[in-house]
Amino acid sequence: MSELLQVTNITAGYGDGPAILDGARLTVEPGKVHCIIGPNGAGKSTLLKAICGMLTIRKGDVVFKGERLNGLRPDQILRKGICFVPQERALFPKMTVRENLRMGGYVLDDTKLRDRRIDEILERFPVLRERADQHAGTMSGGQQQTLAMARTLIVKPDIVMLDEPSLGLAPKVVQEMFDIMKMMSQEGVTVLLVEQNALMGLKNSDWGVVLDLGRTLFEGPAEAVLADPRIQELYLGGRKVA
Amino acid sequence: MTDILQILILGLALGGVIALMGSGLSLVFGVMRIVNLAHPSLIICGAYVSYWAFKLWGLDPIATLPIAALIMAAIGVLLYRLMFESQAKSARYSEMTVLLTFALAMIVEGFLGAAFTNTQRVTSPEYATDAFFIGSLFIPKGQLYAGCVSLAIIGALTLFLNYSRLGYAIRATTQNREAAELLGVNVNLISMIAFAIGIGLAGAAGSLVSFVFSFFPAKQWEWIAMLMSVVVLGGMGSVLGTVVAALLLSVIAAFVGAWVGATWSTMTFFLALFVILLIRPQGLFGEKPELA
Amino acid sequence: MAVDLQQADASSVLEARRIHNQKLARQHDQTRATWFPLVVLGVLLALPLLQLTGNYNYLLHLVLFTASYAVMASGWNIIGGFAGYISLGHAVFFAIGGYFSGVLLARYGISSLLTAPLAGLVAAICGYLVGLITLKVRGPSFIISSIALLMIARILFDHWGFIGGANGMSLPVTDLPVQTAKLPYYYAFVLMAAFTVWATYRIKHSKFGLGLRALSKDEVKAESAGINTRFYKVLAFALSAFFVGMSGAVWGEYLTYLRPNIFLIILVSANLVLMCILGGKGTIAGPVVGAILIVAFNEIFVATLGASEINILATGFVMVLGLMFFPNGVIGTLARKGKLPRVLNWD
Repeated sequence: MSELLQVTNITAGYGDGPAILDGARLTVEPGKVHCIIGPNGAGKSTLLKAICGMLTIRKGDVVFKGERLNGLRPDQILRKGICFVPQERALFPKMTVRENLRMGGYVLDDTKLRDRRIDEILERFPVLRERADQHAGTMSGGQQQTLAMARTLIVKPDIVMLDEPSLGLAPKVVQEMFDIMKMMSQEGVTVLLVEQNALMGLKNSDWGVVLDLGRTLFEGPAEAVLADPRIQELYLGGRKVA
Repeated sequence: MTDILQILILGLALGGVIALMGSGLSLVFGVMRIVNLAHPSLIICGAYVSYWAFKLWGLDPIATLPIAALIMAAIGVLLYRLMFESQAKSARYSEMTVLLTFALAMIVEGFLGAAFTNTQRVTSPEYATDAFFIGSLFIPKGQLYAGCVSLAIIGALTLFLNYSRLGYAIRATTQNREAAELLGVNVNLISMIAFAIGIGLAGAAGSLVSFVFSFFPAKQWEWIAMLMSVVVLGGMGSVLGTVVAALLLSVIAAFVGAWVGATWSTMTFFLALFVILLIRPQGLFGEKPELA
Repeated sequence: MAVDLQQADASSVLEARRIHNQKLARQHDQTRATWFPLVVLGVLLALPLLQLTGNYNYLLHLVLFTASYAVMASGWNIIGGFAGYISLGHAVFFAIGGYFSGVLLARYGISSLLTAPLAGLVAAICGYLVGLITLKVRGPSFIISSIALLMIARILFDHWGFIGGANGMSLPVTDLPVQTAKLPYYYAFVLMAAFTVWATYRIKHSKFGLGLRALSKDEVKAESAGINTRFYKVLAFALSAFFVGMSGAVWGEYLTYLRPNIFLIILVSANLVLMCILGGKGTIAGPVVGAILIVAFNEIFVATLGASEINILATGFVMVLGLMFFPNGVIGTLARKGKLPRVLNWD
């Protein structure tokens, strides 16, 4: 197996609080869409934050392209090629769309290259082009999510991690977000998705990961995860669980 | 009429200095969400640098301003490393940092008091007691120079924040720290730089303050309340707001001082703070009230 | 209990989740020792018997000084610890209490020991009115407003001729013999401290106290849970002012003079905050432990270093060290580690 990112048995938590993740593992293969599902409090978002360096990893390893990422700062991990779009979308509300995109290319030293990629993105996302000089805080939820996802493309990352891109969006808009995600995937970006709506997430993915109680319980092709009766029972609403 | 004009001029000149005193506070709050209660005590440190440079070697306080600023900026780096860096991940960040700065203010006051006593000091270069006369109006040279230098420094700061790459990173960190971090800004380094600039501004303000006001270590408490009312009115974190608020309040204070009495002139700032909190807690340029 | 869904079935996951949740809900040691504070109180009440064997006035002074601060710090704890609003302006209520009773004593000869509760009430009313304004904001803005309150009060007291302005006013000196002169104040402070500890305990365990703790975590959520947050926090502010004012009233008579630069200084406020932080904010025993620690520090510093500048420096330094290394205070840190001795668990 030619994995791009390998997470082995990591333990992590917030501050000096209890460990939220305890024995989570994950294998990310290039070019695929991976979906992490699990109940509330399972540690899905925590796992993404641990990978991108926002949390200290207490035990275990995160290995990317054969290199250990443990202990690196978020800005260093970004430079390696892993982009993270958190639930809150991480926009600068008082900067314009264009300025937000420029901030997306903060790590690029070549400003000409950066501006060229910004133009490309504005070309591809008419929603953003029309609002290029509008403050990001004034856009709708879907538009903000589009901006947050599109912004990652400026640095041409290997992996984009999306934390619940569908959060708080209308069902119709949710599908648009998944379409953008698929488009990114087709361009060769590996996607790691955390999704509360497990059914929807798995249907749009290649690989499924079940996270519960801070550890990985199951990994497999998305169709296999969808089809597994136990997973249907526990996570897809087959039965009410405590 | 000339009376009013006269008071207005004096108020504006002082307002310029107060703006500079507040701008560092505002910057540090904006980037790091730290209400630096020690800011006035650090201004007083800067004032002592220029005071002694003048007293011992006869150096002009405006000439020693860059030195005071640099010394204080270096102290800023040190303080950041020792006290504030480790707080970044604290769950009670805003409470912890404000208490730390409060304790720092006491340390600085105690230290300065022990070293230089609580005698009132003022640097007295020739222009501090001189004035320009235009008709029946007079403009004290000291206050005029100090006001102009202040506004020049704030202008340079604004240009730096809006047009340099570092300034960009500082503004991004101000607006959304987590997002800036995820986009590759080393927020810890940026915070340290911003903190150092903020404390450096305190040093610079100190040099000017040294010949505009008389000062002594315990004076800081009066200034804390004064600067805080300026910063709150300006909308915590907005440097432009701070300037506008400083000019506005110090003009009002000048009128109150002239028509009601000198004691009530300082009171203006404190009462203004209450009125602002009552009517518009987010200040003139602030976004929304602090309720997180 | 490692579960792998690759092999296991669904029910074992449910079982594992139940065990996991139990582990997360940390088991608190619920045993508290009510007998210990009662024993301490008994010992303190009997302590003046020592006067029969010699002059222990200094010891009595230390205990009453500590008790006066324990009253104030416990009072501060209601707004600062339970509700999470850090006030640096509580010296104002100390002064209001002191001056109110002081004026009654100087003009009409009524002892402050009798008027102290009334003085507390006056401080509480002032606190209520001020709170209506300043508690509209929280976090840093609130802290700033509390400093401004102190500055305003200082200017007013300094210029108010009726109460002697900046020179303050002297109060009649007690005519009791040296051996018993301190006793009325000693008992007043010890009993007030006991009452305050009991009162804060009752507040913490009431619906009101629960509401305060909820709003200290998240005001919006507390509000949406049906708590009248505005009324709650203003009431908490007024209550805390009550205890500080009461202590100020007795302190004024004990000191025999009132002066703004003794009552209305930031060091008084700072001490309250420092005691609560060092002892353990939001706990019942914390402010008392903090008061003992700070008074002890102060005595050592004053005895060895003297000058007030050095005292300020040292207080600041202790505060920095306490904040950086024991952010949860003595009681909080021990409780977190599960090592809190039963005798100190008053919650």
